[in-house]
Amino acid sequence: MRRYVTNPMIIKELRQRLRERRSWLLPTLYLLVLSGIVVCVYYFTTDTDRHLRGVEVQGADIGQAIFLAVVLTQIIVLLLMGPVFSSGAITIEREQRTLAGLLTSLLTAPQIWWGKFVASLLYLLLLLASAIPLLALPFAFGGVEPLDLVKALGSTILTLASICAIGLWCSAIFRRSVHATASCYAIVLVLTIVTAVSFGMLYSHWQESHPGAQGPPAHIQAPLFLNPLYPLLTLIDENEFRSYVYPSSSWLMFAGIGCLAAALAMRRLQRSGEQL
Amino acid sequence: MIEIDALHKSFRKSRGLDGFSLHLENNELVGLVGPNGAGKTTLIKILATLLPADSGSVRVSGHDVSTAPAAVRAALGYLPDVAGIYQDMRIGEFLEFFADAFRLKEPRRTAAIEKALERAGLAERRQDFVEHLSLGWRQRLHLSKILLHEPKLLLLDEPATGLDPLARIQLREQLRRLHAEGVAILISSHILSDLEDICTRIVFIAEGKNVHEAQAPAPVLGAPAAIVRCELEFEGSAEVLDRVLTDFPGARVLERNDGFLLFELPGASRDASACLGKLLAAGITILHFDARGPGLEERYRRAFGDRTS
Repeated sequence: MRRYVTNPMIIKELRQRLRERRSWLLPTLYLLVLSGIVVCVYYFTTDTDRHLRGVEVQGADIGQAIFLAVVLTQIIVLLLMGPVFSSGAITIEREQRTLAGLLTSLLTAPQIWWGKFVASLLYLLLLLASAIPLLALPFAFGGVEPLDLVKALGSTILTLASICAIGLWCSAIFRRSVHATASCYAIVLVLTIVTAVSFGMLYSHWQESHPGAQGPPAHIQAPLFLNPLYPLLTLIDENEFRSYVYPSSSWLMFAGIGCLAAALAMRRLQRSGEQL
Repeated sequence: MIEIDALHKSFRKSRGLDGFSLHLENNELVGLVGPNGAGKTTLIKILATLLPADSGSVRVSGHDVSTAPAAVRAALGYLPDVAGIYQDMRIGEFLEFFADAFRLKEPRRTAAIEKALERAGLAERRQDFVEHLSLGWRQRLHLSKILLHEPKLLLLDEPATGLDPLARIQLREQLRRLHAEGVAILISSHILSDLEDICTRIVFIAEGKNVHEAQAPAPVLGAPAAIVRCELEFEGSAEVLDRVLTDFPGARVLERNDGFLLFELPGASRDASACLGKLLAAGITILHFDARGPGLEERYRRAFGDRTS
Protein backbone atom coordinates (compact mmCIF):
# COMPACT_ATOMS: atom_id res chain seq x y z
CA MET A 1 0.00 0.00 0.00
CA ARG A 2 2.87 2.37 0.90
CA ARG A 3 4.19 1.95 -2.64
CA TYR A 4 1.00 3.49 -4.02
CA VAL A 5 1.24 6.48 -1.69
CA THR A 6 4.96 7.14 -2.26
CA ASN A 7 4.66 6.43 -5.95
CA PRO A 8 7.44 8.19 -7.91
CA MET A 9 5.09 8.42 -10.89
CA ILE A 10 2.88 10.90 -9.02
CA ILE A 11 5.78 13.24 -8.27
CA LYS A 12 7.06 12.99 -11.83
CA GLU A 13 3.65 13.58 -13.39
CA LEU A 14 2.80 16.53 -11.16
CA ARG A 15 6.20 18.08 -11.72
CA GLN A 16 5.80 17.78 -15.48
CA ARG A 17 2.21 19.04 -15.48
CA LEU A 18 2.93 22.04 -13.31
CA ARG A 19 5.78 23.05 -15.62
CA GLU A 20 3.42 23.37 -18.55
CA ARG A 21 2.12 26.81 -19.44
CA ARG A 22 -1.44 25.58 -19.18
CA SER A 23 -0.91 24.78 -15.49
CA TRP A 24 -1.45 28.46 -14.59
CA LEU A 25 -3.38 29.46 -17.69
CA LEU A 26 -6.22 26.98 -17.18
CA PRO A 27 -7.01 27.85 -13.54
CA THR A 28 -7.04 31.53 -14.52
CA LEU A 29 -9.46 30.95 -17.40
CA TYR A 30 -11.50 28.55 -15.30
CA LEU A 31 -11.97 31.08 -12.50
CA LEU A 32 -12.73 33.84 -14.98
CA VAL A 33 -15.49 31.73 -16.54
CA LEU A 34 -16.96 30.83 -13.17
CA SER A 35 -16.76 34.45 -11.96
CA GLY A 36 -18.48 35.58 -15.13
CA ILE A 37 -21.23 33.04 -14.55
CA VAL A 38 -21.68 34.22 -10.96
CA VAL A 39 -21.99 37.85 -12.04
CA CYS A 40 -24.41 36.98 -14.87
CA VAL A 41 -26.59 34.82 -12.64
CA TYR A 42 -26.65 37.48 -9.95
CA TYR A 43 -27.78 40.22 -12.31
CA PHE A 44 -30.15 37.93 -14.21
CA THR A 45 -31.84 36.74 -11.00
CA THR A 46 -32.20 40.18 -9.48
CA ASP A 47 -33.20 41.92 -12.71
CA THR A 48 -35.74 39.29 -13.71
CA ASP A 49 -37.35 39.28 -10.31
CA ARG A 50 -37.40 43.04 -10.01
CA HIS A 51 -38.62 44.03 -13.43
CA LEU A 52 -40.68 41.18 -14.76
CA ARG A 53 -42.41 39.91 -11.65
CA GLY A 54 -42.22 43.06 -9.62
CA VAL A 55 -41.51 41.17 -6.37
CA GLU A 56 -38.82 41.79 -3.82
CA VAL A 57 -35.79 39.55 -4.46
CA GLN A 58 -35.08 36.94 -1.77
CA GLY A 59 -31.47 36.29 -0.75
CA ALA A 60 -32.09 32.53 -0.74
CA ASP A 61 -33.19 32.61 -4.38
CA ILE A 62 -29.99 34.36 -5.38
CA GLY A 63 -27.89 31.96 -3.30
CA GLN A 64 -29.49 28.88 -4.83
CA ALA A 65 -29.24 30.24 -8.35
CA ILE A 66 -25.57 31.09 -7.98
CA PHE A 67 -24.80 27.77 -6.31
CA LEU A 68 -26.52 25.68 -9.00
CA ALA A 69 -25.01 27.73 -11.80
CA VAL A 70 -21.48 27.39 -10.39
CA VAL A 71 -21.84 23.65 -9.67
CA LEU A 72 -23.24 22.87 -13.13
CA THR A 73 -20.79 25.14 -14.95
CA GLN A 74 -17.80 23.69 -13.15
CA ILE A 75 -18.75 20.08 -13.85
CA ILE A 76 -19.30 20.91 -17.53
CA VAL A 77 -15.97 22.72 -17.77
CA LEU A 78 -14.15 19.96 -15.87
CA LEU A 79 -15.78 17.30 -18.05
CA LEU A 80 -14.27 19.11 -20.99
CA MET A 81 -10.86 19.28 -19.31
CA GLY A 82 -10.77 15.75 -17.86
CA PRO A 83 -10.04 13.99 -21.18
CA VAL A 84 -7.26 16.48 -21.94
CA PHE A 85 -5.35 15.49 -18.82
CA SER A 86 -6.07 11.78 -18.69
CA SER A 87 -6.37 10.49 -22.24
CA GLY A 88 -2.88 11.61 -23.24
CA ALA A 89 -1.17 10.34 -20.11
CA ILE A 90 -0.05 6.93 -21.42
CA THR A 91 -0.01 7.69 -25.14
CA ILE A 92 2.45 10.50 -24.52
CA GLU A 93 4.85 7.92 -23.03
CA ARG A 94 4.48 5.88 -26.22
CA GLU A 95 4.92 8.91 -28.44
CA GLN A 96 8.00 10.06 -26.52
CA ARG A 97 9.33 6.47 -26.49
CA THR A 98 9.62 6.54 -22.72
CA LEU A 99 7.17 3.75 -21.94
CA ALA A 100 9.80 1.01 -22.36
CA GLY A 101 11.86 2.67 -19.64
CA LEU A 102 8.90 2.58 -17.26
CA LEU A 103 7.89 -0.97 -18.08
CA THR A 104 11.42 -2.30 -17.58
CA SER A 105 11.80 -0.54 -14.24
CA LEU A 106 10.47 -2.04 -11.03
CA LEU A 107 7.26 -0.03 -11.32
CA THR A 108 4.27 -2.33 -11.82
CA ALA A 109 1.46 -1.61 -14.29
CA PRO A 110 -0.95 -0.73 -11.43
CA GLN A 111 1.64 1.68 -9.98
CA ILE A 112 2.12 3.37 -13.35
CA TRP A 113 -1.65 3.59 -13.79
CA TRP A 114 -2.14 4.92 -10.26
CA GLY A 115 0.51 7.59 -10.75
CA LYS A 116 -1.11 8.76 -13.95
CA PHE A 117 -4.60 8.64 -12.44
CA VAL A 118 -3.75 10.57 -9.29
CA ALA A 119 -1.84 13.21 -11.24
CA SER A 120 -4.74 13.70 -13.70
CA LEU A 121 -7.31 13.85 -10.93
CA LEU A 122 -5.24 16.05 -8.65
CA TYR A 123 -5.02 18.73 -11.28
CA LEU A 124 -8.78 18.71 -11.72
CA LEU A 125 -9.17 18.78 -7.94
CA LEU A 126 -6.89 21.81 -7.87
CA LEU A 127 -9.30 23.56 -10.23
CA LEU A 128 -12.21 22.40 -8.11
CA ALA A 129 -10.55 23.65 -4.94
CA SER A 130 -9.73 26.99 -6.51
CA ALA A 131 -13.46 27.53 -7.08
CA ILE A 132 -14.47 26.82 -3.46
CA PRO A 133 -14.61 30.57 -2.60
CA LEU A 134 -17.13 31.00 -5.42
CA LEU A 135 -19.11 28.02 -4.14
CA ALA A 136 -19.03 29.53 -0.65
CA LEU A 137 -20.44 32.81 -1.94
CA PRO A 138 -24.08 31.54 -1.92
CA PHE A 139 -23.80 30.97 1.85
CA ALA A 140 -23.76 34.75 2.21
CA PHE A 141 -27.16 34.89 0.49
CA GLY A 142 -28.62 31.79 2.15
CA GLY A 143 -30.78 29.03 0.70
CA VAL A 144 -27.89 26.59 0.49
CA GLU A 145 -26.84 24.13 3.18
CA PRO A 146 -23.30 22.90 3.82
CA LEU A 147 -24.55 19.40 3.01
CA ASP A 148 -25.42 20.61 -0.49
CA LEU A 149 -21.84 21.74 -0.96
CA VAL A 150 -20.51 18.39 0.26
CA LYS A 151 -22.91 16.51 -2.03
CA ALA A 152 -22.01 18.67 -5.03
CA LEU A 153 -18.28 18.31 -4.47
CA GLY A 154 -18.47 14.58 -3.71
CA SER A 155 -20.57 13.88 -6.79
CA THR A 156 -18.32 16.00 -9.00
CA ILE A 157 -15.16 14.32 -7.70
CA LEU A 158 -16.62 10.83 -8.25
CA THR A 159 -17.69 11.73 -11.79
CA LEU A 160 -14.30 13.25 -12.62
CA ALA A 161 -12.48 10.23 -11.19
CA SER A 162 -14.53 7.98 -13.48
CA ILE A 163 -13.85 10.22 -16.47
CA CYS A 164 -10.12 10.16 -15.67
CA ALA A 165 -10.22 6.36 -15.46
CA ILE A 166 -12.01 6.23 -18.83
CA GLY A 167 -9.45 8.65 -20.27
CA LEU A 168 -6.59 6.46 -19.05
CA TRP A 169 -8.25 3.41 -20.54
CA CYS A 170 -8.47 5.20 -23.90
CA SER A 171 -4.85 6.20 -23.45
CA ALA A 172 -3.85 2.60 -22.78
CA ILE A 173 -5.55 1.18 -25.86
CA PHE A 174 -4.62 3.79 -28.46
CA ARG A 175 -1.16 4.54 -29.78
CA ARG A 176 -1.71 8.23 -30.45
CA SER A 177 -2.88 10.92 -28.03
CA VAL A 178 -5.17 12.49 -30.60
CA HIS A 179 -7.10 9.23 -31.06
CA ALA A 180 -7.31 8.59 -27.33
CA THR A 181 -8.51 12.13 -26.63
CA ALA A 182 -11.11 12.01 -29.42
CA SER A 183 -12.40 8.67 -28.12
CA CYS A 184 -12.63 9.95 -24.57
CA TYR A 185 -14.55 13.02 -25.73
CA ALA A 186 -16.88 10.75 -27.68
CA ILE A 187 -17.55 8.77 -24.51
CA VAL A 188 -18.18 11.97 -22.52
CA LEU A 189 -20.52 13.12 -25.27
CA VAL A 190 -22.43 9.83 -25.12
CA LEU A 191 -22.68 10.07 -21.34
CA THR A 192 -23.99 13.64 -21.35
CA ILE A 193 -25.95 14.17 -24.55
CA VAL A 194 -27.00 10.70 -25.69
CA THR A 195 -28.23 9.68 -22.23
CA ALA A 196 -30.27 12.91 -21.95
CA VAL A 197 -31.80 12.42 -25.41
CA SER A 198 -32.56 8.76 -24.64
CA PHE A 199 -34.25 9.78 -21.42
CA GLY A 200 -36.27 12.44 -23.27
CA MET A 201 -37.53 9.87 -25.76
CA LEU A 202 -38.36 7.30 -23.08
CA TYR A 203 -40.03 9.93 -20.92
CA SER A 204 -42.27 11.28 -23.68
CA HIS A 205 -43.28 7.73 -24.62
CA TRP A 206 -43.96 6.93 -20.98
CA GLN A 207 -45.99 10.13 -20.50
CA GLU A 208 -48.19 9.22 -23.44
CA SER A 209 -48.96 5.81 -21.98
CA HIS A 210 -49.29 7.13 -18.40
CA PRO A 211 -51.19 10.44 -18.63
CA GLY A 212 -51.33 12.29 -15.33
CA ALA A 213 -48.73 10.05 -13.63
CA GLN A 214 -46.31 11.79 -11.27
CA GLY A 215 -42.57 11.71 -12.03
CA PRO A 216 -40.83 9.10 -14.17
CA PRO A 217 -40.03 5.75 -12.52
CA ALA A 218 -36.45 4.53 -12.12
CA HIS A 219 -36.40 2.38 -15.27
CA ILE A 220 -37.37 5.37 -17.41
CA GLN A 221 -34.62 7.39 -15.77
CA ALA A 222 -32.07 4.58 -16.23
CA PRO A 223 -30.16 6.27 -19.10
CA LEU A 224 -29.73 9.33 -16.92
CA PHE A 225 -27.91 7.29 -14.26
CA LEU A 226 -24.95 7.47 -16.64
CA ASN A 227 -25.26 11.23 -17.02
CA PRO A 228 -22.63 13.17 -15.02
CA LEU A 229 -25.10 15.99 -14.37
CA TYR A 230 -27.87 13.77 -13.07
CA PRO A 231 -26.80 13.41 -9.41
CA LEU A 232 -26.55 17.20 -9.18
CA LEU A 233 -30.30 17.48 -9.84
CA THR A 234 -30.83 16.62 -6.17
CA LEU A 235 -29.47 20.07 -5.39
CA ILE A 236 -32.55 21.68 -6.90
CA ASP A 237 -34.49 22.85 -3.92
CA GLU A 238 -37.87 21.39 -4.73
CA ASN A 239 -38.84 18.47 -2.56
CA GLU A 240 -41.32 17.12 -5.09
CA PHE A 241 -38.65 17.06 -7.78
CA ARG A 242 -35.97 15.66 -5.46
CA SER A 243 -38.08 12.64 -4.55
CA TYR A 244 -37.88 11.39 -8.14
CA VAL A 245 -34.09 11.60 -8.43
CA TYR A 246 -31.94 8.57 -7.55
CA PRO A 247 -28.40 9.94 -7.16
CA SER A 248 -27.01 6.83 -5.45
CA SER A 249 -27.78 4.73 -8.56
CA SER A 250 -25.77 7.16 -10.60
CA TRP A 251 -22.90 7.20 -8.11
CA LEU A 252 -22.79 3.40 -8.17
CA MET A 253 -22.79 3.43 -11.97
CA PHE A 254 -19.88 5.85 -12.13
CA ALA A 255 -17.93 3.96 -9.47
CA GLY A 256 -18.48 0.74 -11.43
CA ILE A 257 -17.50 2.27 -14.76
CA GLY A 258 -14.40 3.80 -13.18
CA CYS A 259 -13.31 0.49 -11.64
CA LEU A 260 -13.89 -1.37 -14.90
CA ALA A 261 -11.95 1.21 -16.91
CA ALA A 262 -9.11 1.04 -14.37
CA ALA A 263 -8.93 -2.75 -14.54
CA LEU A 264 -8.96 -2.75 -18.35
CA ALA A 265 -6.34 0.01 -18.54
CA MET A 266 -3.97 -1.83 -16.17
CA ARG A 267 -4.41 -5.06 -18.11
CA ARG A 268 -3.65 -3.27 -21.33
CA LEU A 269 -0.67 -1.49 -19.81
CA GLN A 270 0.78 -4.80 -18.70
CA ARG A 271 0.72 -5.98 -22.30
CA SER A 272 1.77 -2.73 -23.90
CA GLY A 273 5.33 -3.95 -24.44
CA GLU A 274 3.96 -5.50 -27.62
CA GLN A 275 3.00 -2.05 -28.92
CA LEU A 276 6.46 -0.57 -28.45
CA MET B 1 23.69 -14.90 -17.22
CA ILE B 2 21.40 -15.54 -20.20
CA GLU B 3 20.10 -18.99 -21.09
CA ILE B 4 17.85 -19.11 -24.13
CA ASP B 5 16.74 -22.44 -25.53
CA ALA B 6 14.61 -23.02 -28.63
CA LEU B 7 12.87 -19.66 -28.40
CA HIS B 8 9.86 -19.09 -30.63
CA LYS B 9 7.88 -15.92 -31.11
CA SER B 10 5.36 -15.26 -33.86
CA PHE B 11 3.49 -12.14 -34.77
CA ARG B 12 0.26 -11.90 -36.76
CA LYS B 13 1.92 -11.65 -40.12
CA SER B 14 5.47 -12.72 -39.47
CA ARG B 15 7.72 -14.96 -37.44
CA GLY B 16 9.94 -13.13 -34.99
CA LEU B 17 12.03 -15.96 -33.57
CA ASP B 18 12.20 -19.53 -34.75
CA GLY B 19 14.04 -21.76 -32.33
CA PHE B 20 16.79 -19.32 -31.40
CA SER B 21 19.21 -20.37 -28.65
CA LEU B 22 21.93 -18.46 -26.86
CA HIS B 23 23.98 -18.88 -23.71
CA LEU B 24 25.81 -15.86 -22.42
CA GLU B 25 28.24 -16.12 -19.54
CA ASN B 26 28.84 -13.54 -16.81
CA ASN B 27 32.01 -12.12 -18.30
CA GLU B 28 30.93 -11.86 -21.92
CA LEU B 29 30.31 -8.92 -24.20
CA VAL B 30 28.34 -10.45 -27.03
CA GLY B 31 27.41 -8.74 -30.27
CA LEU B 32 24.12 -9.70 -31.90
CA VAL B 33 24.37 -9.32 -35.63
CA GLY B 34 21.86 -9.89 -38.39
CA PRO B 35 19.95 -8.19 -41.18
CA ASN B 36 16.88 -6.05 -40.54
CA GLY B 37 13.95 -8.20 -39.44
CA ALA B 38 16.23 -10.98 -38.25
CA GLY B 39 14.69 -10.99 -34.77
CA LYS B 40 17.32 -9.06 -32.82
CA THR B 41 14.95 -6.51 -31.31
CA THR B 42 12.32 -9.17 -30.63
CA LEU B 43 14.91 -11.22 -28.77
CA ILE B 44 16.05 -8.25 -26.69
CA LYS B 45 12.46 -7.28 -25.91
CA ILE B 46 11.70 -10.79 -24.70
CA LEU B 47 14.79 -10.69 -22.50
CA ALA B 48 13.71 -7.28 -21.18
CA THR B 49 10.27 -8.75 -20.25
CA LEU B 50 8.49 -6.47 -22.71
CA LEU B 51 7.31 -9.28 -24.97
CA PRO B 52 6.08 -12.73 -23.99
CA ALA B 53 7.62 -15.69 -25.83
CA ASP B 54 5.38 -18.26 -27.53
CA SER B 55 7.54 -21.19 -26.50
CA GLY B 56 11.04 -22.04 -25.40
CA SER B 57 12.90 -21.21 -22.26
CA VAL B 58 14.45 -17.85 -21.36
CA ARG B 59 16.29 -17.31 -18.12
CA VAL B 60 18.17 -14.22 -17.04
CA SER B 61 20.44 -14.46 -14.01
CA GLY B 62 18.66 -17.70 -13.13
CA HIS B 63 15.16 -16.21 -13.27
CA ASP B 64 12.55 -17.18 -15.82
CA VAL B 65 11.42 -14.06 -17.71
CA SER B 66 7.79 -15.18 -17.85
CA THR B 67 7.35 -16.24 -14.23
CA ALA B 68 9.68 -13.83 -12.44
CA PRO B 69 9.73 -10.63 -14.54
CA ALA B 70 10.43 -8.35 -11.55
CA ALA B 71 13.55 -10.33 -10.62
CA VAL B 72 14.69 -10.21 -14.23
CA ARG B 73 14.15 -6.43 -14.43
CA ALA B 74 16.14 -5.99 -11.23
CA ALA B 75 19.02 -7.91 -12.81
CA LEU B 76 19.21 -6.10 -16.13
CA GLY B 77 19.46 -2.70 -17.71
CA TYR B 78 17.71 -2.21 -21.05
CA LEU B 79 18.45 0.47 -23.61
CA PRO B 80 15.94 0.39 -26.51
CA ASP B 81 16.84 1.27 -30.08
CA VAL B 82 15.08 4.63 -29.81
CA ALA B 83 15.24 5.61 -26.17
CA GLY B 84 12.93 8.48 -25.36
CA ILE B 85 13.64 10.99 -22.69
CA TYR B 86 11.56 13.35 -20.56
CA GLN B 87 12.45 16.66 -22.15
CA ASP B 88 10.84 18.77 -19.46
CA MET B 89 12.79 17.25 -16.59
CA ARG B 90 16.13 18.33 -15.21
CA ILE B 91 18.98 15.84 -15.49
CA GLY B 92 19.05 15.32 -11.72
CA GLU B 93 15.28 14.84 -11.55
CA PHE B 94 15.41 12.33 -14.39
CA LEU B 95 17.90 10.18 -12.51
CA GLU B 96 16.07 10.64 -9.20
CA PHE B 97 12.85 9.42 -10.79
CA PHE B 98 14.45 6.26 -12.13
CA ALA B 99 16.31 5.67 -8.86
CA ASP B 100 12.90 5.70 -7.18
CA ALA B 101 11.42 3.56 -9.95
CA PHE B 102 14.09 0.97 -9.17
CA ARG B 103 13.23 1.33 -5.47
CA LEU B 104 16.66 2.40 -4.36
CA LYS B 105 16.68 3.39 -0.71
CA GLU B 106 18.87 5.98 0.97
CA PRO B 107 21.84 6.20 1.20
CA ARG B 108 22.23 3.94 -1.84
CA ARG B 109 19.86 6.16 -3.83
CA THR B 110 21.91 9.34 -3.49
CA ALA B 111 25.16 7.47 -4.08
CA ALA B 112 23.73 5.84 -7.23
CA ILE B 113 22.55 9.20 -8.59
CA GLU B 114 25.91 10.84 -7.93
CA LYS B 115 27.72 7.94 -9.56
CA ALA B 116 25.39 8.07 -12.57
CA LEU B 117 25.98 11.81 -12.99
CA GLU B 118 29.71 11.26 -12.74
CA ARG B 119 29.61 8.33 -15.15
CA ALA B 120 27.69 10.38 -17.69
CA GLY B 121 29.99 13.36 -17.17
CA LEU B 122 26.98 15.48 -16.25
CA ALA B 123 27.70 16.20 -12.59
CA GLU B 124 28.08 19.91 -13.32
CA ARG B 125 24.89 20.02 -15.36
CA ARG B 126 22.42 18.27 -13.05
CA GLN B 127 20.17 21.35 -12.98
CA ASP B 128 20.04 21.60 -16.78
CA PHE B 129 16.95 20.46 -18.62
CA VAL B 130 17.33 17.20 -20.53
CA GLU B 131 16.08 18.85 -23.73
CA HIS B 132 19.28 20.89 -23.89
CA LEU B 133 21.46 17.78 -24.24
CA SER B 134 22.83 16.61 -27.57
CA LEU B 135 22.13 13.08 -28.79
CA GLY B 136 25.50 11.85 -27.57
CA TRP B 137 24.99 13.26 -24.09
CA ARG B 138 21.48 11.86 -23.98
CA GLN B 139 22.80 8.43 -24.81
CA ARG B 140 25.36 8.77 -22.00
CA LEU B 141 22.57 9.82 -19.64
CA HIS B 142 20.50 6.82 -20.75
CA LEU B 143 23.37 4.46 -20.18
CA SER B 144 23.92 5.92 -16.73
CA LYS B 145 20.20 5.65 -16.02
CA ILE B 146 20.07 1.95 -16.81
CA LEU B 147 23.10 1.41 -14.57
CA LEU B 148 21.50 3.12 -11.55
CA HIS B 149 20.47 -0.14 -9.91
CA GLU B 150 23.80 -1.80 -10.77
CA PRO B 151 22.48 -4.50 -13.08
CA LYS B 152 24.60 -7.54 -13.88
CA LEU B 153 23.45 -7.56 -17.49
CA LEU B 154 22.98 -4.85 -20.08
CA LEU B 155 20.76 -5.26 -23.13
CA LEU B 156 21.62 -2.63 -25.71
CA ASP B 157 19.60 -2.39 -28.89
CA GLU B 158 21.41 -0.32 -31.52
CA PRO B 159 22.98 2.03 -28.96
CA ALA B 160 25.27 3.80 -31.43
CA THR B 161 22.62 4.73 -33.98
CA GLY B 162 22.79 8.43 -34.81
CA LEU B 163 25.86 9.11 -32.70
CA ASP B 164 28.77 11.08 -34.12
CA PRO B 165 32.18 9.34 -34.32
CA LEU B 166 33.45 10.83 -31.06
CA ALA B 167 30.30 9.81 -29.19
CA ARG B 168 30.65 6.31 -30.66
CA ILE B 169 34.23 6.09 -29.47
CA GLN B 170 33.17 7.23 -26.00
CA LEU B 171 30.34 4.70 -25.98
CA ARG B 172 32.75 1.92 -26.90
CA GLU B 173 35.13 2.96 -24.15
CA GLN B 174 32.29 3.05 -21.66
CA LEU B 175 31.12 -0.42 -22.65
CA ARG B 176 34.65 -1.73 -22.43
CA ARG B 177 34.95 -0.29 -18.92
CA LEU B 178 31.65 -1.82 -17.87
CA HIS B 179 32.70 -5.17 -19.25
CA ALA B 180 35.94 -4.91 -17.29
CA GLU B 181 33.86 -4.19 -14.17
CA GLY B 182 32.12 -7.53 -14.69
CA VAL B 183 28.87 -6.46 -16.37
CA ALA B 184 27.71 -8.90 -19.04
CA ILE B 185 26.53 -7.12 -22.18
CA LEU B 186 24.40 -8.20 -25.12
CA ILE B 187 24.57 -5.56 -27.83
CA SER B 188 22.73 -5.47 -31.11
CA SER B 189 24.19 -3.24 -33.80
CA HIS B 190 24.64 -2.81 -37.52
CA ILE B 191 27.92 -0.98 -36.97
CA LEU B 192 30.17 -4.00 -37.39
CA SER B 193 33.42 -2.14 -36.79
CA ASP B 194 32.21 -1.14 -33.32
CA LEU B 195 31.24 -4.69 -32.48
CA GLU B 196 34.50 -6.03 -33.87
CA ASP B 197 36.34 -3.62 -31.63
CA ILE B 198 34.72 -4.47 -28.31
CA CYS B 199 32.93 -7.82 -28.44
CA THR B 200 34.31 -11.04 -27.04
CA ARG B 201 31.89 -13.01 -29.19
CA ILE B 202 29.57 -12.42 -32.13
CA VAL B 203 26.24 -14.18 -32.53
CA PHE B 204 24.64 -14.21 -35.97
CA ILE B 205 20.88 -14.31 -36.32
CA ALA B 206 18.65 -14.42 -39.39
CA GLU B 207 14.95 -15.19 -39.75
CA GLY B 208 14.82 -15.80 -36.03
CA LYS B 209 17.38 -18.60 -36.08
CA ASN B 210 21.04 -18.95 -35.14
CA VAL B 211 23.05 -18.66 -38.32
CA HIS B 212 26.66 -18.92 -37.41
CA GLU B 213 28.72 -18.31 -34.33
CA ALA B 214 32.42 -17.57 -34.30
CA GLN B 215 35.06 -15.90 -32.21
CA ALA B 216 35.38 -12.19 -32.82
CA PRO B 217 38.68 -11.66 -34.61
CA ALA B 218 41.68 -11.01 -32.42
CA PRO B 219 43.70 -7.95 -33.42
CA VAL B 220 46.69 -9.82 -34.85
CA LEU B 221 47.17 -13.39 -35.99
CA GLY B 222 44.04 -14.44 -34.25
CA ALA B 223 41.22 -16.53 -35.52
CA PRO B 224 41.49 -19.22 -38.15
CA ALA B 225 40.63 -17.96 -41.60
CA ALA B 226 40.52 -19.10 -45.18
CA ILE B 227 42.47 -16.03 -46.31
CA VAL B 228 44.92 -13.96 -44.32
CA ARG B 229 45.62 -10.43 -45.44
CA CYS B 230 49.18 -9.30 -44.63
CA GLU B 231 50.55 -5.79 -44.50
CA LEU B 232 54.33 -5.52 -44.63
CA GLU B 233 56.78 -2.65 -44.33
CA PHE B 234 60.34 -3.76 -45.02
CA GLU B 235 63.89 -2.88 -45.91
CA GLY B 236 65.66 -5.13 -48.39
CA SER B 237 65.35 -6.61 -51.84
CA ALA B 238 61.89 -6.78 -53.36
CA GLU B 239 63.02 -9.65 -55.59
CA VAL B 240 63.98 -11.75 -52.56
CA LEU B 241 60.61 -11.00 -51.11
CA ASP B 242 58.84 -12.10 -54.32
CA ARG B 243 60.84 -15.30 -54.28
CA VAL B 244 59.72 -16.04 -50.73
CA LEU B 245 56.08 -15.48 -51.71
CA THR B 246 56.33 -18.00 -54.54
CA ASP B 247 56.80 -20.65 -51.82
CA PHE B 248 53.17 -20.00 -50.85
CA PRO B 249 50.87 -21.18 -53.63
CA GLY B 250 47.92 -18.85 -54.08
CA ALA B 251 49.66 -15.84 -52.55
CA ARG B 252 48.42 -12.66 -54.25
CA VAL B 253 49.96 -9.21 -54.13
CA LEU B 254 47.29 -6.54 -53.77
CA GLU B 255 49.36 -3.40 -53.48
CA ARG B 256 53.03 -2.66 -53.85
CA ASN B 257 54.93 0.52 -53.03
CA ASP B 258 58.48 1.32 -52.18
CA GLY B 259 59.15 -0.63 -48.95
CA PHE B 260 55.48 -1.61 -48.61
CA LEU B 261 53.57 -4.69 -49.67
CA LEU B 262 49.97 -5.73 -49.16
CA PHE B 263 49.27 -9.36 -50.00
CA GLU B 264 46.84 -12.20 -49.34
CA LEU B 265 47.78 -15.71 -48.30
CA PRO B 266 45.47 -18.68 -48.47
CA GLY B 267 45.21 -20.47 -45.14
CA ALA B 268 45.19 -19.43 -41.53
CA SER B 269 47.27 -17.34 -39.17
CA ARG B 270 49.92 -20.07 -38.90
CA ASP B 271 50.61 -19.62 -42.65
CA ALA B 272 51.19 -15.93 -42.04
CA SER B 273 53.61 -16.83 -39.24
CA ALA B 274 55.43 -19.23 -41.57
CA CYS B 275 55.67 -16.51 -44.22
CA LEU B 276 57.08 -14.06 -41.68
CA GLY B 277 59.68 -16.66 -40.61
CA LYS B 278 60.77 -17.22 -44.20
CA LEU B 279 61.05 -13.49 -44.86
CA LEU B 280 63.29 -13.06 -41.84
CA ALA B 281 65.34 -16.10 -42.83
CA ALA B 282 65.79 -14.59 -46.29
CA GLY B 283 67.39 -11.50 -44.72
CA ILE B 284 64.52 -9.07 -45.17
CA THR B 285 64.37 -6.44 -42.42
CA ILE B 286 60.80 -6.25 -41.18
CA LEU B 287 59.68 -2.82 -39.99
CA HIS B 288 56.02 -3.69 -39.62
CA PHE B 289 54.00 -6.84 -40.17
CA ASP B 290 50.28 -7.12 -39.63
CA ALA B 291 48.22 -10.15 -40.57
CA ARG B 292 44.46 -10.33 -40.13
CA GLY B 293 41.88 -12.99 -40.79
CA PRO B 294 38.61 -12.02 -42.37
CA GLY B 295 37.00 -9.09 -40.55
CA LEU B 296 33.49 -9.12 -39.21
CA GLU B 297 32.29 -7.57 -42.44
CA GLU B 298 33.69 -10.52 -44.38
CA ARG B 299 32.19 -12.99 -41.94
CA TYR B 300 28.88 -11.14 -42.15
CA ARG B 301 29.01 -11.35 -45.94
CA ARG B 302 29.67 -15.07 -45.72
CA ALA B 303 26.84 -15.60 -43.27
CA PHE B 304 24.24 -13.39 -44.92
CA GLY B 305 25.59 -12.87 -48.41
CA ASP B 306 22.49 -14.09 -50.20
CA ARG B 307 20.00 -12.63 -47.75
CA THR B 308 18.41 -9.25 -48.25
CA SER B 309 17.03 -7.30 -45.34
